[in-house]
Formats: sequence, C-alpha cells, structure tokens
Amino acid sequence: MGLTGLEIYKHLPKTNCKECGSPTCLAFAMALASGKASLEACPYVSDEAKAALDSAAAPPIKLVKVGAGDHVIELGDETELFRHDKRFFHPPGIAVLISDSGDVAAEAAAFDSLEFNRVGLHYVTDMIAVRCDSGNADTFKAAAEAVAGKTAKALILIAEDPAIMEAALSAVAERKPLLYAATNDNYEKMVELAKAKGCPLAVRGSDLHDTATLADKIVALGHKELVLDSGARETSRVLADLTQIRRLAVRKKFRSFGYPAMAFTTKEDPQEELLQAVVYVSKYAGIVVLKASARQQLLPLLSWRQNLYTDPQKPIQVEPKLYDVGEPTADSPVYCTTNFSLTYFIVQGEVEASRIPGRILSVDTGGVSVLTAYADNKFTAETIAAAMKKADLDNLVSHRKIVIPGYVAVLKGALEEESGWEVIVGPREASGIPKFAKEHFA
Amino acid sequence: MIIIGERINGMFKDIARAIKERDPRPIQEWARKQEANGAHYLDINVGPGSPDPVGAMQWLVEVTQEVSELPLCLDSTKYDAIEAALKICKHPAMINSVPAVQAKMERVFAMAAQYNAEVIGLAMSEEGIPKDADARVALAAELVANAMAFDLPPDRLFIDPLVLPCNVAQDHGPEVLRTLREVKLISDPPPKTVVGLSNVSQGTKNRELINRTFAVMAMANGLDAAIVDACDDELMAAVATARILLNMDIYCDSYIDVFKKSNRL
Amino acid sequence: MAVEILKEKYRSKVGQVVLGATAAEGGTRSHTITVGGESALPFLHFEGEIPNRPVVALEVWDMAPEEWNPCFKKYYGDVFDDPGAWAKKCVEQYGADLILLRLVSADPDLKDSSPEECAAAVKKVLAAVGVPLIVLGCGKAEKDAAIFPVVAEAAAGENLLLGVAELENYKAITSACMAHKHNLIAQSPIDINICKQLNILIAEMSTALVDRIVIDPTIAALGYGIEYSYSIMERARNGALQGDRMLAMPMIGNVGFEVWRTKEANISAEEEPGWGDQEERGVLWEATTAAAYLQAGMNILVMRHPRAVELVKKNIDDLMCDNSY
Repeated sequence: MGLTGLEIYKHLPKTNCKECGSPTCLAFAMALASGKASLEACPYVSDEAKAALDSAAAPPIKLVKVGAGDHVIELGDETELFRHDKRFFHPPGIAVLISDSGDVAAEAAAFDSLEFNRVGLHYVTDMIAVRCDSGNADTFKAAAEAVAGKTAKALILIAEDPAIMEAALSAVAERKPLLYAATNDNYEKMVELAKAKGCPLAVRGSDLHDTATLADKIVALGHKELVLDSGARETSRVLADLTQIRRLAVRKKFRSFGYPAMAFTTKEDPQEELLQAVVYVSKYAGIVVLKASARQQLLPLLSWRQNLYTDPQKPIQVEPKLYDVGEPTADSPVYCTTNFSLTYFIVQGEVEASRIPGRILSVDTGGVSVLTAYADNKFTAETIAAAMKKADLDNLVSHRKIVIPGYVAVLKGALEEESGWEVIVGPREASGIPKFAKEHFA
Repeated sequence: MIIIGERINGMFKDIARAIKERDPRPIQEWARKQEANGAHYLDINVGPGSPDPVGAMQWLVEVTQEVSELPLCLDSTKYDAIEAALKICKHPAMINSVPAVQAKMERVFAMAAQYNAEVIGLAMSEEGIPKDADARVALAAELVANAMAFDLPPDRLFIDPLVLPCNVAQDHGPEVLRTLREVKLISDPPPKTVVGLSNVSQGTKNRELINRTFAVMAMANGLDAAIVDACDDELMAAVATARILLNMDIYCDSYIDVFKKSNRL
Repeated sequence: MAVEILKEKYRSKVGQVVLGATAAEGGTRSHTITVGGESALPFLHFEGEIPNRPVVALEVWDMAPEEWNPCFKKYYGDVFDDPGAWAKKCVEQYGADLILLRLVSADPDLKDSSPEECAAAVKKVLAAVGVPLIVLGCGKAEKDAAIFPVVAEAAAGENLLLGVAELENYKAITSACMAHKHNLIAQSPIDINICKQLNILIAEMSTALVDRIVIDPTIAALGYGIEYSYSIMERARNGALQGDRMLAMPMIGNVGFEVWRTKEANISAEEEPGWGDQEERGVLWEATTAAAYLQAGMNILVMRHPRAVELVKKNIDDLMCDNSY
C-alpha cells in the first residue's frame, strides 16, 4: 500500500492555490493517493514530500542478498503475514554457528556436507556463521579463511570489534558475507566496512525501539543492505519482536523495519534449540542461527522450512514415474495414483505401512488429486495405460495386475481393455491400503 | 457487512402512530423482527415534522432498549435530539449523520468523542451533493481530518457517499461506487463506508431487486455497512452470499443462517 | 525512537472448554483442565489474553500395539498390556497433562471388543490416574456408534472429551455427549468448510454443546502435508478472533499418531545413513510437528514419545512467558 491521502496532505503546502488543477490541497492529495495526479503538478512541493512519496513506492521489505557465486541467499521481500493469504517467498537462511576457537576447518567441512535428499527434494543448510570468541584478529581471519576454503556456502562473520571484522573481511570480502553486527557502539565503522566491501550488515539494537533508531542512523549513512536483530533472545520475546517487525513493515510500511530479521537460538541442548528454531522459522525470521549440526536435528527443521514456504496456490507435484516401496520383486503389487504430492505420499505411507513391498505408479495429472484429475480427464484409462508403458511395467513384474484408487472404480473396464492387465479396485481412502494389501497380497 | 435496520422510522405510518400514542408495541415488534433477521444496529428516527423530536427520540430509545441489546443508530438532523438520546443509550451508539460543514462537524464530533459514539459522515457540503467521485472523496477526506482533530479514530467514522435514485440520477451510480473504493485511500486505518440503500430504488419498479443488486455491487467496492430493510430475506441472502464470494466469511453450507445469527453471537 | 507497537483489535476470542470433573463437580478427577479462551494469535501475549497454556496428552491403547516402532518398548513395553498402568506411567513418569485412550480393540477386524469391555477399559484408566481423559473410538463408524452411548453412560459425571464426530456420523456421539454431559471432538478432513458446517450441525442438535466442542481439523505430519492443516488452523483461528463463532473452538491434533506412521520417524540409520539416528530423528520429527502446530493455535497435542513430550512442554513454558511491550 502507498501513502494515504492524509499522509500525503501533510507534506503539501496547504495553501489551496488551485495551480495544480485541484480545488484544494486535500483534493490534490486524494488524487495523488489514487494515482490520478502526479506530484509535479504542484509547483510548491518540498523535497521532503518527494522523498516520502518515492519511498512509499518501494516494497515493504527489502530483498537482501548474502553470499556470492552459486551460493547467494536471497532474504526478505515478503509481503504476507499468513501463507494462506498468498505465499511466503524467501525461505529463511539456516545458519550453523561455529567458533573461531574450535577445529574450524573440520567443522566447516562437516557443515558443507550437510545436505539431505527427501521425497525427491534436496535440502541444504545454506549458511555458516563464524563467531570470534578468540578476541584475536589473526585467529578470526584465519578461521574465516579456513571456512571459506572448505565451503562455498554463504558466510556470516560475527565480531563486534571493527578492527577484527576488517581483518577477516580482508580475506573473504569477495564472498559477500553478512557482517554481524552493527551496534550503537560500533556502527559508524561497521557501516564504513560494509560499504567499502559491498557487504550486507546486521543491525543489533538493545530492543525493538533501539533497533529502529539504529537502522535509521545506518540508512542515513548510506547503507541499506541490512538484516535486523532486535537483540531479544528469550523465545517468547523473539516471537513478539519478529511479529512486530514483519507486521509494521507489511501493514504500516514502517521503513525502519523494512528489512529481513534474524534470530539466534540460545538453548544448550540441541534438541531444545531445534524447537526454538521451529518457532522462528514459523514466524517471520529471515535467518536463524543455531549450533545444532547433527543430521537428525537439522532434517526436521529443513523439512518444516520447505513445507512452510511452498506456494499454497500451487499443488506440489512429485515426478510422475514408478516408485519402489521397500524392495519389490517381480511378484510385488503395483498401485497407481496421481502425482499430487500429498496424495502420492499418503499412498506411499500406507503401502509402506502394509509391510508388503510394492510399486507405485504416479501418473502425471499436473499435480492434482484423484477425483479432480478424473473430472479433468487427466486420470483416464489412456493416461494410466500410457504411464504403465512408459514405466516398462511389462518387463518389471511377472504378474499383470494393477490396483487403482476406489474412487475411480469406473475406470476398471476401460483400463483392462487399454492395457490388457487385470485391474483391481483398491480402497477409496489410502488408509484402507494396509488391510487391502493383507487380503490380496499377503 | 454491518446491517442497520431502517424500520423504526416515523416516516412509516405505524411507527408515526405509535410515537404519537406512545404505544411501544409496534416499535418493539420491529426491533425484535429486525434483530431476528440479522440486523446489527437499529436505526431510530422520529420522522418528519415531530412536534417534540427530543422527547420522541428518547422514548423510542427507551422502548427499543427494553427488548433489544443491539446498538442504535440515532438518525436525526436535530443534534439536541441526538444528544438527549446518547445520554440514555446502553451501548455506544452511531450518530446519523453530519455533512462536511464546519460548524456541524465540530458539534457532532465533539459529541461523538464525549459519548464514544460512531458517526456517519455525509459526502456533501453546504453546496449540496457533488456529482463526481473526486469531489465526494475530497469531502470525505475533510470529514476524516476533522474527526481526527477530535480524537475520533477514522474507523469510527462511516462515510456515506450519498446514493440517489437510479431513475433520476443514473449517472451518480458509478461515481458512488468509485467513491466507496477511493475513500479507503484517505487514511490508515481507513474510514468505513455506509449507504442508505433504499434511496437507490426510490420511485422505481422492482425496488427490492434494485436494492439487493446495488448492495452486492457496493460490497464488491468495499462497502462496510448499509441502512436497509433487514426483513427483506432476499436482500439478506444476497448480502450473506456476497460475503462468501468476497472471501469475508468462511464458507459452510449453512452460511445464510450463520450470517443472520451473527448479530447475536 | 519509540516504535508504535501494532496490536490487532479482535472482535472475539476462542471458546473455553473445561475437561474432567472433580468430586465436587460430580466426577473423580484430581483436577480439571481448561483449554482455549485466547483473545490473541498464538503466544502473542502483547495483544490479548492467553489464559490457558496448550496441553499435552499421551496416547494409551486398550490393547498392546503391535506396530509401534520398537523404540517405544523401553518406555511402555512393561505396561502395553495394561491401559491403567500405561496411563499411570504416562502421567507420573512422562508428564502427560491428560490421557487419550484409544479403544483400538473394538475394531471388528481386531478384537471386536464389546461396548461393555470398552467401558471397563475407560473405568480402569479413570481409576489409575487423576487427570482428565480423552476417549477415542476404534475409527469404524458403525462400531463407534455402539460404543459411545455405553462409554458415555459408564463415565457419566467425568466430563470426558469423546471423539470423534464426523459429518457423516455425528448424531450417535453427539447424543451420547448430550445425555451424559461430556465434551465432543468434531473432526473434519483437512477442510475448513466442513469443519464449520459440522459445528453448526452439532449446534443444531444441542446449543449447549457449542461450548463443549473441540475441533480436530485432521492434521498431517511434518513432510506429509503439514502446511495444509497448518494453514487451515491459522484461517480458523483468525476467523474465531474476528468473530466467527462456529470456528471459535479449541483445537486438538493427533501428532504422535501421524508422525509415527512416517518413514522419517521409523526408518533405521542403516537404511538412510544421510538422515542420522532413528530414535532421535523420530523424537524430533514428532516435536517439530507439534511445535509447528503450536504456532498455528493447537490447544491439545496428542503425542507418543516421552522425550518429544518433554521438549514440547519446555517449548510451551518458554512461549507462555509474557511478551507485552
């Protein structure tokens, strides 16, 4: 939303001179608010008014980039408070924190290998944060270099002494790391560094109000690639602050908060830390920094991030092909369903639960569910038979039986004719599969 | 959309007689009927040419409040009558109405602030009702600016763009709809909007059809409230349906019943 | 600079449901539990009241589950055959706020237990623990319709939460709850329109029951469509706060049941070496699913793994800290 008529009116001369063509300044302000007039029509407008109108045209939350090359993480540029209103656009960066005083190279290498494959998707932890605990510029610089040597992923450098930051930055500036953090004590020098090297800068205030003030000061110095940290660390306070930052930016176009926000977990126990991170990923963090680094700890968090940032308008699809469940043999049953991912995964889960290995033929229906696809002529005897052929089922299994969803029992005859296979009508709901499988295939 | 039931108005013969004879029964019957059919507010108007508008207004408020907990919309051009009524209203009321005329705005907004009342502001000045939307919106902006000067938040102000009968002022229709949209650009939060719906069909055939068609069109342009015949079932069903189609209520099969009951939940 | 904190002005709040009844109230519970009542989005204490914390129920079956992951043996192996002892262990050792008893054995394909046997199992659990009780049928509508009247009568006065009522078969269970004054779970299949309609239909049978409904929107586990149910819950909760009374009920979700069906919770580290340790992964899959739903407004989380319960309760502790400005 742009400025309202009354907000624009505040910037106008209020002389009702009529030279713009409107009878009053208020009428002119309303014409501007609805886009029917241009500010140039007012001969007496101030520069301040021009600036206010220009900034109102910017997106509510700035897009900020961290990293270089193939590993640029885009943060911010969000427009919603609830994903069902449209969607969330830029998943938060998940950053694993390491100390410059530990075995930096080994930890960085371990971090770099943290990638996961799950349900046809590839998940990665996308950022690594190196914190200066040594208090020593050389140590921190060496650590930054070592990390940069082990991973191409985006870096966050954590040091509050600008001299220490400068030392590390001299080694890894071309990686465009996020510099953490500008505070009330160091911001002038930090801004200088960030500007000189073209790096994004984190801003940490003592609370929400202070963060807004500090962000404004930094913008006044000419740096706008910012990530906000309200300084809060207790879970409930962080949730409130992240919510306020997002709400004020989106609903009120409050410029001081028009940047992505970041949060740090505090729990010592990595499992407790994970749940803190779940809260921050759910509610508006642009970056979450945590220490947990075990695979079983990160996989649920990365899965939640992926799920939350899907487009609710767009059904997610799985690749239409033949999938194995367990280790099927030539005698194992074959089920077919659509490639709407939710449908597919529910069927897959139930086939798995039946404890009888099998195959699932996911037919390309453009990612819609069984009944919708049937109604749209995308799930027909022809499309199923074509998918069977493409999957080379004739050569993979020795039997000639395929299970179709109960809701499309009506396809049985046509599919038998089209494919030459025997068609078994399965249960209407996937939850019936285990019992069905026991009765037919045990 | 907020439904303001129009029926307790001295313009109607049964109400006029009831006021004259101080017979509460017709008033209370209409209060109950409108509430049962989904009205959120009850408009209270003593009608034209009352010999004692202050006394009549107070009496109407008293007898209405005996049977209904709904907030009242005090409809009079006589601000003394409104003020007298505000003093005895059990719930914060709505003042109907004030034009964009300085002296009147000052009186009404001061009164609204004192009694925590909402206000209907008319998009007209001393010079009358402008035709085009830009002029109406400019008057609305004046109303909002003045209301804020009295610490009345913009969302306690309902802008009425003023609907004219479609058989005499057909060209006003699109201007009113555009006004409804652009009024929302005045402030944040924006003012609310209201229309006196039956004006649009004054003197026409097919009055109910015209009313509900316009209601739906106005809702699609952001209308928040309307003064209507709350006992017009077709109108209420159309409003409930428009709310579903505009994604203002969550659909369920019984949505019309739910809308009609929403005033009592 | 003083930032002007943005607080939403809501018209309404979530309904409050009391579960269980003490001796003074005609039951035998040591205390009652109240859920719902919030007038703000989850844990946003700065803009409204969150009078009751979300609670965790642990799931107990009336027969030993054969298909639970073997990792549960070390927690429940000694009590799987005794729902009373099982429930007691859940409350005393694993911190369950309340117990959900699932009458699995009534399933005609399993033991086909009689309604009287089901009522006996409920009595047994009631005798073993003092916390309020949630009772679910076996999930087969016809059989459940026979169970509920008997169970409801046997536990009259205990103010149970009985489930589930569905659009196709809500009448038997609704009648049972009306007759013996219990609360009711209304379950809809990840569909907010049906959710609302079902509440209306129940309200038409009994206006008094409106304040005794708990919504089960049907949830999915993390990775299996959690975002669908998460968004439906967020929409329902926004609707409730904006005055939609037919969506303004507390919400319950079978987190443990859904999670422990997934591959991610169950598959061994040998089979999926890229995913890390199985039990910890399952615990965190359950805890993450629960924590995500807390952010969408879930009031009653039904869980399984003791460690996941411990983690989620700590998360709730943290989130219940006041964050007013």
